[in-house]
Amino acid sequence: MAKPSHAERLELFRRMLHMRRFEEMVIRLAQAYEYTGRQHLHIGHEATGAAVAMAMRAGDKIHTTHRNHGYVIACGADPGRAFAEIMGRRDGLNGGKGGSWHLCDAERGFQSTSAMVGGSIALAAGAAFALKLAGSGNISFAHFGDGTLDEGVAYESLNIASIYELPVLFVCENNSKAGQRPSSMLAAARLQDVPAALQIHCELVDGADSDAAQIAFQKAADRVRETGKPVFIEATLERWPGSHQVKAAFPTGVTDLSLALNLDKVEGKHADWIKQSDPILRATRALIKDGVSDLVGLLEMDAKVNLLMEDARSFAEASPFPDASVAFTGVFAS
Amino acid sequence: MPQMNLAEALIDGLIWSLRADPRATIIGRGIAGHGPEHAAEDRLKQEFGSRIIDPPTSEAAVAQLGTGAAMAGARPFVHYGTAVFAYEAWNQFINEAANIHYMSNGQLSAPVTFHLFHGIRGGGGPQHSGSPYAMYANNPGLEIVLPTSPRDAKGLMRSAMASNNPTIVIQNAQLLGLTEDVPAEDYSIPFGKAVVKRDGRDVSVIACSRSVIDALEAADILEKEGLSVEVVDIRTLAPLDVDTIVASVEKTGRMVAVDETYEICGVASELIASVVTRAFSALKTQPVRVGRPMTPVPFSPPLEAAVNPGTQKIVDACRRACKR
Repeated sequence: MAKPSHAERLELFRRMLHMRRFEEMVIRLAQAYEYTGRQHLHIGHEATGAAVAMAMRAGDKIHTTHRNHGYVIACGADPGRAFAEIMGRRDGLNGGKGGSWHLCDAERGFQSTSAMVGGSIALAAGAAFALKLAGSGNISFAHFGDGTLDEGVAYESLNIASIYELPVLFVCENNSKAGQRPSSMLAAARLQDVPAALQIHCELVDGADSDAAQIAFQKAADRVRETGKPVFIEATLERWPGSHQVKAAFPTGVTDLSLALNLDKVEGKHADWIKQSDPILRATRALIKDGVSDLVGLLEMDAKVNLLMEDARSFAEASPFPDASVAFTGVFAS
Repeated sequence: MPQMNLAEALIDGLIWSLRADPRATIIGRGIAGHGPEHAAEDRLKQEFGSRIIDPPTSEAAVAQLGTGAAMAGARPFVHYGTAVFAYEAWNQFINEAANIHYMSNGQLSAPVTFHLFHGIRGGGGPQHSGSPYAMYANNPGLEIVLPTSPRDAKGLMRSAMASNNPTIVIQNAQLLGLTEDVPAEDYSIPFGKAVVKRDGRDVSVIACSRSVIDALEAADILEKEGLSVEVVDIRTLAPLDVDTIVASVEKTGRMVAVDETYEICGVASELIASVVTRAFSALKTQPVRVGRPMTPVPFSPPLEAAVNPGTQKIVDACRRACKR
């Protein structure tokens, strides 16, 4: 496929900023409200999430893991309703019944989030099966982390997708190589060895490089549509130091786009991540270097996104908790 | 009216479902079992061969394939053969399919039908004789259907395939050969409607699945002793028709609850609880519970028979309830 246009690159960046500013607001809300539950933030994965969302067409379906906020925002869900859900409020995307782990926006093809490791990969294979049966030409997307390949159901689902030629794009965000406990343990030398052994076409992409991700995911989605067969993409990522949030915090600070041009000013324990692995700062540099925009233009875009997130926060804060009677409704479909 | 055995009736219900809805699809083989009734499946293959897939031995992924497809607009029927195989898909039944409608606040539903053969089948031993439906019933969001006659099997299967919820049709494999007249045309039997299989005055036996057949046999035996036994088949465990159960016990004043699941937290326990919490004063005697004792199902025929809550145990229970 052709290199993305300036407009497409800016659109990708706009979605990435929405994702980042959303998650930063989640941290602020968590600090302000100490609400229950736990958030699995998608910071550092914005390039892959936005690129996947941009490769989706109307009628496509996506299932993600519980590290889902970025994807649901990239797919265009209302951030106010997403905040409200995370806070357990009445106007949340799921009416307060799902919470952070289960955000759902079915109208946008955002089917659901399974918080069981291996859930999304298997459900997405099912969605692809239905789409194939319906003959709509649509495809499904499965988002998961490297740890999913520890699960038996992942192997089973890859096998089934390959045998029945299901139109599904497997999106593996591999952030296992950070200095913490690895999130996966696989005897195979590379994650891709598993799908490759099952005759699934595999691609590798630097998940923090928004340009590479945009090209790779569009190409992979095109390939799934053209061949009707699954494709597996592994996006390598350096894990964000705040990925495992026990207490809401900003270990790498609040994102400052102007740092992209002043990397020598970055210091501290997490300087390497900020300098090399933050997809937002990398995209900022690339967009300016390629003349797609300048810092002023990107800061203006960022200011708008921040305002939008402030409004969304106000919406969520104004939403009441659901009436307790709601707990007993909607167990069965009519 | 044609005669059908239960396996043929199940298949007939499926065929009508596939005719009625182009989204309906079959995942699995051996739907009529592997016993003498297995050939019933041939009709399905002939008419709808292109809508059947025979998946690899991947119980968890196959459950999720059906669930994910159902969430995306298909109407899958997923067959498991022996019910215990679906233990591999526990998470997929309970945590995914059963939860999705509620946790998406009604945005999504999972209209998938899971079909399983359960129960003591003769020589199944500890790992192939399980009856997991009490465990399923201990979770919200699943419909649980237990056909005991060919007519019911056809009509209930039709409702299962038309339901917008995840539905488990769980069939005692030993009943597949039961034969009766079954209407040839398309019909449905609604969920949540128990049926009085036999009218009686002295004691109500509330049962499901295989135990209904055993209870009818017990009622014949007791009739000769002058005891009039009413037999109620709950037909669906979820939803459960408590009204019909309570009405029967109010009529007879005595209750025996019988079912193949384990006595502890089993179906018989729930049936008794549903009556004593609503109609305690209707009971003239203490209700009697007959279930599988808390032991694995052994292989050797006399040992297997010893743990089976069969006809003789129901006879004894009715005598106890009636103080005979």
